[in-house]
Amino acid sequence: MKRSTLASSSVLVETSHDLPLVSLSIGTKNGSLFDPPGLEGLTRVTARLMRRTGGHRDPLEIDNRIDSLGGAFSTDVTASATLFQGTVIRRSLEPFLAIVREVLENPGLTEVELGRLVRETQADLVEALDDDRGLCRRWFRKRLFGDHPYSRPVSGTAESLGRIRREDVVARARSLADPAALHVAFSGDIAADEATTLGTALLAALSEGEAPAETTPDPVVPAGRRLVLVDKPARTQTQILIGGIGTHPRDPDHTALAVGNTIFGGTFTARMTQEVRSKRGWSYGAYSSLPIDRRRQGFSMWTFPKAEDAAPCIALQLSMLSDLRKDGVTKKELSWAKRYLLRSHAFAVDTPAKRVGLALDKLLYDLPDGYYEEYKSRVSSVTLEEVNAALQQRIPEDDLLIVVVGTASDIRSAIEAQIPNLGSTEVVRFDNEV
Amino acid sequence: MQEATSDPPPSSAQPSSAGAPRDSERASNSARGAGVRNAKLLARQKLLSSVNAKAPEFGKVEHVETLPFGPNLRVERFRFSNGLQLLLCEDHSAPVLAYHTWYRVGSRHERVGKTGLAHLFEHLMFNEVEGRPAGEFDRLLEEAGSEVNASTWLDWTQYNAATPRDQLGLVVQLESERMSKLVLREPQVTSEKEVVANERRYRVEDDVEGSVSELLWATAYKEHAYRWPTIGWMEDIQNFTTADCEEFYKTYYAPNNATIVVVGDVTESQLLPKLSRCYGVIAPSVIPLEDVRPEPPQLEERRCEVQKPTSTEKLVMGYHAPALGDYDHGILSLLIEVLFGGRASRLHQLLVRELELVSEVRAFIGPFKDPGLVEIFASCREGHRAEEILERIDAELTRVMEQPIAEEEIERGRTRFELSLLSGLDTMDGKASTLGFYDAVLGTPNVAFERLELIRRTGASELRRVARKYFDKRARSIIFVRPAPEGSNSSPAGDAT
Repeated sequence: MKRSTLASSSVLVETSHDLPLVSLSIGTKNGSLFDPPGLEGLTRVTARLMRRTGGHRDPLEIDNRIDSLGGAFSTDVTASATLFQGTVIRRSLEPFLAIVREVLENPGLTEVELGRLVRETQADLVEALDDDRGLCRRWFRKRLFGDHPYSRPVSGTAESLGRIRREDVVARARSLADPAALHVAFSGDIAADEATTLGTALLAALSEGEAPAETTPDPVVPAGRRLVLVDKPARTQTQILIGGIGTHPRDPDHTALAVGNTIFGGTFTARMTQEVRSKRGWSYGAYSSLPIDRRRQGFSMWTFPKAEDAAPCIALQLSMLSDLRKDGVTKKELSWAKRYLLRSHAFAVDTPAKRVGLALDKLLYDLPDGYYEEYKSRVSSVTLEEVNAALQQRIPEDDLLIVVVGTASDIRSAIEAQIPNLGSTEVVRFDNEV
Repeated sequence: MQEATSDPPPSSAQPSSAGAPRDSERASNSARGAGVRNAKLLARQKLLSSVNAKAPEFGKVEHVETLPFGPNLRVERFRFSNGLQLLLCEDHSAPVLAYHTWYRVGSRHERVGKTGLAHLFEHLMFNEVEGRPAGEFDRLLEEAGSEVNASTWLDWTQYNAATPRDQLGLVVQLESERMSKLVLREPQVTSEKEVVANERRYRVEDDVEGSVSELLWATAYKEHAYRWPTIGWMEDIQNFTTADCEEFYKTYYAPNNATIVVVGDVTESQLLPKLSRCYGVIAPSVIPLEDVRPEPPQLEERRCEVQKPTSTEKLVMGYHAPALGDYDHGILSLLIEVLFGGRASRLHQLLVRELELVSEVRAFIGPFKDPGLVEIFASCREGHRAEEILERIDAELTRVMEQPIAEEEIERGRTRFELSLLSGLDTMDGKASTLGFYDAVLGTPNVAFERLELIRRTGASELRRVARKYFDKRARSIIFVRPAPEGSNSSPAGDAT
């Protein structure tokens, strides 16, 4: 891979001529964390509006043009990053990049289109109420992170979206397109020199902006065990997330913890799937996850048993969590997990898009040097003692959040009875604003 | 359809030159190319002789054909003496490979009262094998760094493993074992039935779209096996016996009912001996004739109305569509792209942007062996009714039947197709899926690019023709979804008219 560094931004490229396609990701650390309080959803609306009104053109003209070139171009906003990303058939690369440049350099951000986009987003939020798994995730995030910016919804709420004004969007767009904060990543049918030239030219065309400095602290999770029931009628099945605070990529025990999580719930043959699905048939899926971010993220276990099995399933998971912390993992499990992680790493890097994606992630998430390059040697050298110490130190047991989407009247009392040391129960309607 | 040839297409690595090669250079290149091809053919003959000399009873193998696959790749088809087929596409861009097994059995092969068996069986294929306890298949493959999964649909069931190239031997061993040595025991069958029941709750019973799509197919089809869902009716899932599963396995899981698709960093000389040794001990079986009744023509519109715990109304429609192998399928696919594909499509522009009636509108044409449906889905915004959307969609479909579509719109659809096809080939698994799918449904693995060529040649008159032929109101089924009043459960389907 080639990387060219220009002040604080970069142009990355991974070349492959196997297919006549070029993929492009332009990323910035400027995500929805920087939505002003009360204007949640601003970054996402801004990025989408930039995409629709690049070069002051009509949105239909832009969409038609991109389709006709054989391209696709979209935006993706998370708490920590904003991405402008697309793919185009090689023969149309230059006109495609001209559109990308207009989106970043000169978006129209019209009042009319802003209004339309806000209404569309509000309608999407109504539709999202049909997605039980999505509801569970949103409430888990909200209650886990409390007052921390991670709790704020990336898409906003109907109310916060309604408060967004054009001047808010204009200011945000200027910030998102700050070339000093952008990283450009190409992959596919493009030579390294060509990518560097095009990427550098793209960044040089943009005006200086004001990407905000990050002052986000690490989250602090409330003490004790809390149950949140998201009450939705006529549920034959529940969606359950149980977890608490997790890991940070700069923790000295981060790799050891990740290996431990693999054993506990990171694969199909891990403990969770075996106990919940294979032995008992309680849930189609049962996994634990340990995501990373620029600040400490959460740890969670996910299952979706039928309503009658929700209570015993929660009891089982809590018991498994306790055993994990008390007894740790075995030597045999560790050897197995290492072999899995080392060998399956081939699939993290088997395409140019994946390789350049990892390099871009490293920049956007402030990952330590060598985070991906030295991954295999870090995994190889982890010891049993380190894994078990990390599990005991980092996996929460007392300060736990349990979020269940289901029909409260059917499941509440049975679930409460299965949670030892339960501190509080909150019941929210599924259609409350998150 | 392009004829298969035994000569591979020209290599993409052409000798460099400042301009067009002169005749002498062309002749020299051609001779060099022919020499390379002859050397390859000789090497293959030698390999096949060697493999066949040591082959078990059913393990002799022959090369059937070479097929081009897009501009740069080719696919080699082999057949073993037990009927097992292999499609191999060498791709040395990364040290990994995709190993798929496509069985030509799906939910169309079930019968009333036993729906969902193909899918339940897919789950059971990950269980105990003679000499290996339940769970060992997954454990060994995960330990080898492989990712495994499977899926079942109307016409086929496929199993896939993405694996580092040095684990090929293990994958071949385990996949061949479960083709013939699966052990079906009561506790595992019972447990897996409950897993499938939970999957059904997840995808159907607690999912508005899933449950309505199921109702749509049950309404649109009265005779054909496509009328029941691949996941099966809950009652059928819960009533399966171990004997049902054993009968299904013996009937359909046979080498002569399967195609192995391998894409990746592997050569014929590495693969063929292993397949011959491991699969060559499995006898073919007699695959029963299909007993699927054709769906009689639908002569009048069918409507249903249901209540669901959702905030807004939905409109779901199904028009009877051609089979994947039908000439019209590609043309109708292009029409769907023009009307519904992406933000610049007609219906998105009209219903989402201009009139703001819906939050989403999309359509999909089923890629099936027998005629499927064009499914149209629209989710109303608050305060709007499904009938409004129906009226608007009807008006647009009528317009398409009367007025030719402009060339710019058609070209937009064509390039969307091209991008979608190429994007799907980005990984080994994507290539294997494309090859396996078309081989399973049509018997020809490389047809994706031929479809693209057909779409490139399709113009306004063909689009109008298929619009008139397939968007016939008499041949459609409509489901109106209404929000259930608070405090009530969803209602069963009833006729709206």
